[in-house]
Amino acid sequence: MGVGRRAFVYLLTFWVILTLNFLLPRLLPGDPLAALLDPSSSDYVYDPQVRAALAAYYGLDRPLPEQYGRYLLGILTGDLGRSIRLNRPVAELVVGHLPWTLLLVGTALLFSSALALLAGTESAWRRGSWADRGLVSASILLANVPVYFAGMMLLLLFGARLRWLPLAGGRTPFARYPSALAAALDIGRHLILPALTLTLAMLGAKFLLVRNATVNVLGEDFMLVARAKGLPEGRLKWGHALRNALLPFVAHLAAHAGMAVTGAVFIETLFSYPGMGRLIFESVTARDYPVIQGAFLVVSAVVLTANFLADIINLHLDPRLREGGAVG
Amino acid sequence: MRRLGGEVWFGLILLALCSAVAVLAPVLAPYDPRAFSGQPLERPSRAHPLGTNDVGQDILSELIYGARVSLTVALAAGAGTVLLGLLVGGMAGYAGGWLDQALMRLVDGMLSLPRLPLLILFATFLGSGLPQTIAVISFLFWPTTARVVRAQVQSVRQRGYVRMARQFGASHPYVFLRHILPAIGPLIAYGLVTSAGHAVAMEAGLAFLGLGDPLVKSWGLMMRFALNLPGLFLTDRWLWWLLPPALCVTLLILALALMGIGLEQNLNPRLARRWR
Repeated sequence: MGVGRRAFVYLLTFWVILTLNFLLPRLLPGDPLAALLDPSSSDYVYDPQVRAALAAYYGLDRPLPEQYGRYLLGILTGDLGRSIRLNRPVAELVVGHLPWTLLLVGTALLFSSALALLAGTESAWRRGSWADRGLVSASILLANVPVYFAGMMLLLLFGARLRWLPLAGGRTPFARYPSALAAALDIGRHLILPALTLTLAMLGAKFLLVRNATVNVLGEDFMLVARAKGLPEGRLKWGHALRNALLPFVAHLAAHAGMAVTGAVFIETLFSYPGMGRLIFESVTARDYPVIQGAFLVVSAVVLTANFLADIINLHLDPRLREGGAVG
Repeated sequence: MRRLGGEVWFGLILLALCSAVAVLAPVLAPYDPRAFSGQPLERPSRAHPLGTNDVGQDILSELIYGARVSLTVALAAGAGTVLLGLLVGGMAGYAGGWLDQALMRLVDGMLSLPRLPLLILFATFLGSGLPQTIAVISFLFWPTTARVVRAQVQSVRQRGYVRMARQFGASHPYVFLRHILPAIGPLIAYGLVTSAGHAVAMEAGLAFLGLGDPLVKSWGLMMRFALNLPGLFLTDRWLWWLLPPALCVTLLILALALMGIGLEQNLNPRLARRWR
C-alpha cells in the first residue's frame, strides 16, 4: 500500500467517526439532544441565548439528511457547536486545551521511547542475567497496572507526602511571570508528575517490545557475520542489533499513540491538568454534549493523524513494505 | 497440556480470593453498604475499620460489595467479547472466501477506531447503567479476539482429521462444535482472561471519569467520590478511602493479566523460552 491509499483509508475511517458522532445521539433511545430543548426534561437549558444557539446548531426540526449536511459543513469550517456549561464555542475550548495534551503526550512519548530503546537493547544483550529478569518482571507489572493507580501513587508520594511538586494544574493559578523563562519553569514543574506517570505507563509495553525485537535480531545470521568481522561490541549492539529492532518499534508507534491519549485522559483527570482529558471529564460531569462530541472528534483526529504519520515513517524505514519497488 | 506456570497459580489464587469475598459479601461486610451507619468522614475505628465516606457509609462494606461489581463486569464483558470474537472470527476462518474478506475488513476498521474516545461517546449517550457499560466494552473489544480466532480456525480447518470428518459426511455445525471448538479451546481461555482484565480496567476507568452507573457502587465509583472531596490529599484520609479501592482494582487486573501471560506461554512454547 502506498501513501495515497493509506491516506484514503484514514480519511474513510475519519468519515465513519464523523458519522457515528452525528448519528449516535440522534438515533439512541432517550434523545439526549432533544431533551436539552424540552422544558419538561431535567437536562433543559434555561439560558435562552444558549438554547437558541443549540437549536440552530443541531437543527433537530429539519430532516435528517439536511442536519447531516449542515453538520459536515460546520465541521469543515471549524464549527463544533457551543458549550452549554460555558456558553463559548467548542472550537475555542479545544484550542485552549489541546496544546496541554500535546505537550504531555509528546513529552511522555519522547522519554518512554528513549528509555525503552536504551534499556530494551541492553536487557536483550544480557538476556538471562538478573538485571534482565528484573527489568522484564518490572515491565510486565508496569504494563498491566492501570494508569490512574500509578498516577495516584506518584501524586501521593511526591505531591502529598514529600511536597516536592505541585498537586494539580498546568501552572500556578493567577501567577504573573517576570520572564518567559520563569513561565517555562513553572509549566515544567507542573508537567513533571503527569508526564512521569504517562512515561511509566507506556514504558512497560515499549520495553518488552524492544527487548523481544532485539532478542530476535540477535539470532540472525548477519549478527554472527558482523561479530566474525571483529566489529567492536558497541557497533554490534547499537549499530546492528538496535537498528534492526527499530522497525517493529516504529510499527507499534501508532498503537502507542492511542495508548498515550487514553492514558492522558485519566492522568489529566487525576492531576487536574488543563488538557483535553480534563475538558472531557468536566463536560461529562455537566452533561455538556456539544463539548463531549467536539472533544471526541478532535481526539480521534489526533489519534488517526498519529497513526498515519507512524505508517509513513514505517514506509520510509522499511523498503519491504513498499510494493512495486517505488522508491519513497 | 503443559504444566501451568507460577503466574497462572498466583493469578488464580488472587481471583479465587476476590470471588470468595464477592460471594460471601453479606457475611463479611459489617454493614449494608448503602446504610448510613456512621457520621460522615469518620476516621478508622473499631466500628468502621476503614472509616466512613462523605455521607457516612461504611467504606469497608462498600469495598467488599464492590468486588461483586468488578467480577460481574469481568465475567459478563469478558464472555461477551469472546463470544462476539468467536462468532465473527470463527465464521470468517471457517467459511473463508468473500465472507472472510468482508468480516476481516470490518475487524480492521474497528481496530483502527480510537477506543477510549468511542467508549466515552457511547457511554455518554447510551446512559450509564452497568448493562450498558458491559455491552459497550464487549462491542469495542471483540475485534482483537476475532482476529486471533480466525487465524487459528483457518489452520485447524486444513488439518487431516477435520477434512476427513467432512469426507465422511459430517455437517458443518458438527465439525465446528466437535473438532474446531476443542482445538481452539486454550485460545478461548486466554481470550476470556485477557478480555476480562481489560473490562475490569475499563469499567473502573469509566466510573472514575463519571460515566459509570451512579447507583452501583463499584471500586471505580468509590475512587471518584474520594477524589471529589476537596483537599483529599491535604489530610491522610486518602489512605483508607482512595487507596483500598485503587489497590483492589489493580490487584484484580494484575491477577487476570498474569493468568493471561501464563496461558499465552502455554499456547506458544516459543514465547516461554523467550522470557527466560
